[in-house]
Amino acid sequence: MDFTLSEEHQMFRSMFRDFAQKEVAPLAQTTDHEEKPPLEILKKMAEQGFLGATFPEKYGGSELDNLGYCFLMEEMAGACMSTALTLHVHLGLAGNTILREGTEAHKEKYLPDMAEGTKLGAFALTEPEAGSDAAAIRTVAVKKGDEYILTGNKLWVTNAGIADIFIVFAKTDPQAGARGISAFIVEKSFPGFKVGRRERLLGLRGVVCNPIYLEECRVPAENLLGQEGEGFKIAMRALDYARLGTAAMCLGLAEAALREGSRYATERSQFGGPIALKQAIQNYVAESAIKIEALRHLVEYTAWLADKGERFTKEAAMAKAFGGEIVRWVADRMLQVHGGYGYMREYTIERIYRDARALSIIEGTTEIQRFIVASDIFSGYGLKIKP
Amino acid sequence: MRVIVPIKQIRDPRGVKADPRRQQVTLEEAELVINPTDRNALEEALVLKDKLGAKVTVISIGGPEVEDSIREAWACGADEGILLSDELLAKADFRGAALALAKAIQKLGDFDLIIAGAMAADTCQGQLGPRLAAALDIPCVNDVYRILEVSGGKARVIRGWDEKFLEVEVELPAVLCIAPGANVPRLPHGARIMNSYQWEMPVWKASDLGLSEEDLRPGVEERGLSFPPERVRGRVSRGSPEDLARELVSFLRERHLI
Amino acid sequence: MDFSFSKEHQMLRRMAREFAEREVLPIAKAIDEEHRVPMDVVKKAAELGLLGVPFPQKYGGMGAGEIGYCIVAEELGKVSSSFATIIGAHIGIGAMAIYLGGNEEQKKKYLTPLARGEKIAAFALTEAGAGSDAAAIKTRAVRDGNYFILNGTKQFITNGDIADIITVMAVTDPSLGPRGGITAFIVEREYPGVRIGKLEDKMGIRGSSTAEIILEDVRVPKENILGPFGAGFIVFMQSLDMGRLTLGAACLGGAQTALRMAMEWAAMREQFGEPIAHKQSIQWMIAELATEIEALRSLVYRTAWLVDTRQPFTRYAAMCKMYGSEVASKAVNIALQIYGAMGYSRDFVVELMYRDAKIAEIYEGTNEIQRIVIAENLFRDFGVRIRP
Repeated sequence: MDFTLSEEHQMFRSMFRDFAQKEVAPLAQTTDHEEKPPLEILKKMAEQGFLGATFPEKYGGSELDNLGYCFLMEEMAGACMSTALTLHVHLGLAGNTILREGTEAHKEKYLPDMAEGTKLGAFALTEPEAGSDAAAIRTVAVKKGDEYILTGNKLWVTNAGIADIFIVFAKTDPQAGARGISAFIVEKSFPGFKVGRRERLLGLRGVVCNPIYLEECRVPAENLLGQEGEGFKIAMRALDYARLGTAAMCLGLAEAALREGSRYATERSQFGGPIALKQAIQNYVAESAIKIEALRHLVEYTAWLADKGERFTKEAAMAKAFGGEIVRWVADRMLQVHGGYGYMREYTIERIYRDARALSIIEGTTEIQRFIVASDIFSGYGLKIKP
Repeated sequence: MRVIVPIKQIRDPRGVKADPRRQQVTLEEAELVINPTDRNALEEALVLKDKLGAKVTVISIGGPEVEDSIREAWACGADEGILLSDELLAKADFRGAALALAKAIQKLGDFDLIIAGAMAADTCQGQLGPRLAAALDIPCVNDVYRILEVSGGKARVIRGWDEKFLEVEVELPAVLCIAPGANVPRLPHGARIMNSYQWEMPVWKASDLGLSEEDLRPGVEERGLSFPPERVRGRVSRGSPEDLARELVSFLRERHLI
Repeated sequence: MDFSFSKEHQMLRRMAREFAEREVLPIAKAIDEEHRVPMDVVKKAAELGLLGVPFPQKYGGMGAGEIGYCIVAEELGKVSSSFATIIGAHIGIGAMAIYLGGNEEQKKKYLTPLARGEKIAAFALTEAGAGSDAAAIKTRAVRDGNYFILNGTKQFITNGDIADIITVMAVTDPSLGPRGGITAFIVEREYPGVRIGKLEDKMGIRGSSTAEIILEDVRVPKENILGPFGAGFIVFMQSLDMGRLTLGAACLGGAQTALRMAMEWAAMREQFGEPIAHKQSIQWMIAELATEIEALRSLVYRTAWLVDTRQPFTRYAAMCKMYGSEVASKAVNIALQIYGAMGYSRDFVVELMYRDAKIAEIYEGTNEIQRIVIAENLFRDFGVRIRP
């Protein structure tokens, strides 16, 4: 056992933190209030090499491993959750999926642009009738000559309004259930590709999230990712890694909430002293810190498993489920510490509270994560459970 | 000027629950409310009260629980209310109820208008207004959307007529049957609600109205309830507009519909 | 024991529900988005007596008591927290302070137009440095002949910018502290020196206004002292007790709507080949929530009954507020979770309810303060006097 970080990881971490606090945090409130995508920050991130951080050097990256990626997400989320999620979907979901599943040609074609930030990525799986039940997608892909014709609607596509490169899942064999799903790299410029109205959200207001409409969208056959019928596996693998990143965002956001609450508790005076002297406040703070440390260890342990190349599906689901729940709890308690001020939009905790609520829903609800954990446990007893 | 509003208490249609598996409709959980169209009728009467100082009398027939609806009508602004209730009256059918209400209205003395709801939302019979008019031998206007004017022993109203509106004039006293949704009925005022049980409500029995068991014997016998036959599945056709039109015409001809 | 509502109260519930569904529900989403107070609907509520529910009819009220008021709060809470907040601040604490602390003259002059809804009330206690620690207020009232000169700034005042009559707590003797040194005053909006400061930009209840009220050399006649001189703190605490109870009732309404919406969605939304209502994860959420709502209902109406039968109720009112707001928050959280991503969208009303619900855990005394009130009340029976 050794919990110390390598020098490299420490270096990455402090670099991410410096950037997040200097460049991202100051813009977080306006990003939320004006609901504008953090494009300026992304440009700066590109200069720092963050937008392709996990890619090999030849594609403009620095081969950041899973632990390093978790630090990136943690620090960005601690500064601005909208920015962190935009980056995460671009890099962790879209970029890494191409890196993991794509051919050399795919990587050469797309990854350098993504690392430079000239093209942003998105991931289109969810549909109106297929949320938790991802295998129920209805978008179809029909092969015609050297093209696939994609038809269907995708919902809740983060980055859709600002992205150029979409990982799209569609059924090449509509009768075959999950095994009939294939993955495609679809460019915004392909004929028949349309982006719908931007969603108006409770939080994450800097995130651009839209439906996309594929109206006989023509995708070159070489843009098939993996083999026909491998799409569901590709999606599940992508989500395993993505959940780890999301759990790290939960961690960063919960830490930010705790920072806001603790600082306020020392500054706010009632009954003749700072409210930090009250046990109720102390309990909120202590309980938050306990949950945060537990989450940190779960996240880092899962990242360690992933970096060793071991199976981490269960652990990623645990980290995401736990993270999504505790970040909401911590944000809620820290808002409570702020009293009436916490309800006012000029206070950071108000934004954190709204942002935090998304995290027990996106990338699989808490209920689905629990199912994944339970199904992993029961499979050890030879029992296959259904959701 | 006196306006009489007969009201009916029914189970709130919004609270009716259907159990498709057991082929049953449950009414018991629904609240007892004033028939929605009777509230429209009451509203018309209360407008006459506001405009012309009419005295509004609400009258209803049924069990003791009907008292609540009369008091609610009072809370909305009616001046008085009378309940027709005893064991004999409870058994009365449409004919008997209309007869009892007509007798009670005669007993009240002079009046100018009877404003009734055109139909009850539970039975959808629409018999009461015309039956009252017949029993009292006065004119009746059905499907009234608006009362334009009441003066000089006459009322001018707008009624529905073959998907058009028709303005008619009627001599008083008369029965006006108000169409559903003719207006937005007012809500009772809170303080009147709290005072609505503070007055004594006259309860008239069949004997008070000079009615015997024979008079109230139902003329209609209930034989049982059954569900309507299931609808035949529709047919979806595809093709060019010309083909579709041809197909539709022959379909309608086959059934002698055109 | 008798758990049934009186006939009058049943009729009142029907009226309040119909009013809420007819007049308030259709605007609930718009007033949030447009950040505006629906004064036209407030006026319609006044025409039905809904702005004076618990007050006696001789003061222009409805005379429906606390049970009646809880019924109205519950029905309004079902459709709009913003609207329930406007009415709650007006009746529950603003006018209530005059009803509880005022003399006959004051009730005639001020309570009557408030109960009739001709005028709107606000309750001005909180200051920048005095939230939970209400006794720490700095607003000063200095005697000048037959007048008191008020100076200070009140913060987070619900209805602040629409109120005509404001009940204000000010320090009359700084040496005495909360018991004896603080006096309540009735201040008219029209008095020279009363100014509306900043309007707050809130996360939720955006259909109600929260404003700063600035008092600059405001001359208040001494007849406008509310309750005994120096006993302002007691007057305000009594009003807050009442306000807490009805806030619990409004939360009861909100929680029921959230439960109903969650169930409708769960019955309709299909995943894995069937409505998600068939999933035990969903069933557990629903079952536990429904149980808590029933417990809350009993707590709220039992407390209202204690008030109407003139029994002590302070601890129960605090429980209503604390538990009610937590059940309501839990309810909207569950509804949002069951809606999934749809619940996070501002196209659906669940999102609005989620933002609205949070404030109930904070205003009219944070839930932390409610716990202190409850504990203080309980420990008093053991001869222990606790401080916050």
